[in-house]
Amino acid sequence: MAEGGLQVDRLSRRYGDLVALRELSFEVGAGELFGFVGANGAGKTTTMRIVMGVLAADSGEVRWGGTPVTFETRRRFGYMPEERGLYPKMRILEQLVYLAELHGVAPGAAGRSALAWLERLGLGDRRNDEVQKLSRGNQQRVQLAAALAYEPELLVLDEPFAGLDPVAVDVMSEVLRERAKAGIPVIFSSHQLDIVEQLCDRVGIIQAGRMVVTGTVTELRSSGPHRYWVDAPMAGDDWTAGLGGVTLVRREGSRSLLELADGADEQAVLRTALATGPVREFRRDIPPLSELFRHVVAEARAA
Amino acid sequence: MTAPLDRRPQSPVSAVFLIARREFVTRVRTRVFIIGTALILVAIVGYVVLQQTVLSKPGNLNTYKVAYLGEAQSFADPLAASAKALGLAVERRQVNDESQAESDLRKGDLDVLIRGSASSPQVLVRDQFSPTLHSLLLSLVRQRVLDSQLAAAGLNPAAVQASLASATVQVQTLQPLKSAGGGNRLEVVIAGFAVALFLYIALLTYGQFIAQGVVEEKANRIVEILLSTVKPQQLLIGKVVGIGLVGLIQLGVISVFAFAVTTVTSTFTVPTAAAGVLLYGLLWFILGYFFYAVLFAAAGSLVSRTEEVQSVALPITMLAIIAWLVAIGVLTPMFDGSPMSTVGIALALIPFVSPVLMPTGMATGDISPWLALLGIVVTVVTSAAATWLAARIYANSVLRLGARVKLRDALGRRS
Repeated sequence: MAEGGLQVDRLSRRYGDLVALRELSFEVGAGELFGFVGANGAGKTTTMRIVMGVLAADSGEVRWGGTPVTFETRRRFGYMPEERGLYPKMRILEQLVYLAELHGVAPGAAGRSALAWLERLGLGDRRNDEVQKLSRGNQQRVQLAAALAYEPELLVLDEPFAGLDPVAVDVMSEVLRERAKAGIPVIFSSHQLDIVEQLCDRVGIIQAGRMVVTGTVTELRSSGPHRYWVDAPMAGDDWTAGLGGVTLVRREGSRSLLELADGADEQAVLRTALATGPVREFRRDIPPLSELFRHVVAEARAA
Repeated sequence: MTAPLDRRPQSPVSAVFLIARREFVTRVRTRVFIIGTALILVAIVGYVVLQQTVLSKPGNLNTYKVAYLGEAQSFADPLAASAKALGLAVERRQVNDESQAESDLRKGDLDVLIRGSASSPQVLVRDQFSPTLHSLLLSLVRQRVLDSQLAAAGLNPAAVQASLASATVQVQTLQPLKSAGGGNRLEVVIAGFAVALFLYIALLTYGQFIAQGVVEEKANRIVEILLSTVKPQQLLIGKVVGIGLVGLIQLGVISVFAFAVTTVTSTFTVPTAAAGVLLYGLLWFILGYFFYAVLFAAAGSLVSRTEEVQSVALPITMLAIIAWLVAIGVLTPMFDGSPMSTVGIALALIPFVSPVLMPTGMATGDISPWLALLGIVVTVVTSAAATWLAARIYANSVLRLGARVKLRDALGRRS
């Protein structure tokens, strides 16, 4: 990950007395989709604005391919700010071409690229409309096209899915996946954890300016306690009593939720269950990301 | 879509050019601009037509309707002649008797009734007798008295008159009033006043456009995208240049049109005089515009909502208003032909006042070329300093959203 990719290294930033970021670090490799998750005010937007250079960090560094990011490198980053930023009274295509040209793309190429992205996002026939005449969701697509039209080498998207209908969410997801596949690191923040779960290679959970956890979705989800659901209708209430390192969390009808201590053998649990009679269900209980998120946030708050 | 894009390194000049071009194109295309310019042109035609038909038609304002009775009728011709020499018109009215004259006076059909003897006439008016007519009539009466006395003393009144007429006073001027192109001085001053008014309005209008534009970019957050690819200074300069070009084009169109209309209708006796003022006016629009524009931009960058623009820009608006009041104070006394006062010339060297005083001062020649050059240098240097200051304020505040940024914070280092 040393070459290509973005490294955020111990960023700190305070606003007056409020500490927005404390030594926040993470990395996003080439072609990786990184989901940035955290409560409101946790510091996601501050981090993204520092990466894009529209806000200065008090300390820490942002590196691109191993070297500190400069104004010139940032010009090759694509950015979608949290509050959408477009000229409401400017025509869509003209606006995209303007932004692409400002990023150094030659006029002809800028026009072709902007039009291609508008077509791709289903707005080709509205290219001469003013932005303010579009619905919110469509404005968001234009915003995405604006970030893509100059073929950036990194995408930084603040809440790209907020306010989108399911179809638009699919289009957006597909485009992000495709960009990542083309080797571009993509960072985005979202409160829609189900989308993050489906889409991201890796997730970072940020809490009060600190990166609490980073890892792949599978890693994160299995990082919690090892719990298993076992449905053994013939088993008695205390069927797990003889098993070392196994606690019964609760019973729901014929189903038992068990928590296994580190090193406890789940196969031994299954064998014991089979010994009581038929077993209809035996599965690892993997909490959804949202539950994990709540857990992590609560833990960090308590600490 | 996957083919690599033709990407060039962006020079500061091309960034400024792109920003200025967008400002220019999107504004010139708006209905407000086109209709606004058209309305000003219509207003110019309207003014010239008004001037031609009403204001300057002889005999509308300064015509006196005078009736004579009895011996006083001998005043009719000499009074009309001497009044004409002063640019007044005396129109003779017939009345049959005093009672008819009195009722005509009351109705306003008649201004003056002169009756009585040739040596001591009596005048009847409704409310007041024109002081000019009064002194004309008085000198005619004195003339008659003098003539009869001269004749009684055995002198020839006509000969005395002739030698009186040959007596003159020679006037030497140490500093003759100059007028560009040899034009009529008064016309230059009138044109200069109009130019000062236009510049005052234009500087305020375009300044407000800039402050408004800055806040709009800030309010809709596009400034975050822009500033990830261009420097705040480039964005500021591009905006100022783009909107300035819109202003220059608009004033240029208005100037050429005004020049054409006044020339065709001969509103000014010497069209080149007006042309000189207009050219100086365009020069000073450019010079003054930069000074005001960068300050308006800096003010705009301090706030995040368009509703707050007016209040934050108030100090700069006040500067322009003060400049206009100074212009009225300095230019009005020049309407009677006096040169620009020394105080006026000194005030014209103050950068924020220069644009409204310099065009007139330079066109009349009251401000010498050296002083004018000094004024230009002072304005350019001050504008450069203002640009530096404004760029600093702008760069420090344009990304700070929310509450109005305090000036002290804006001048500080951190963003």
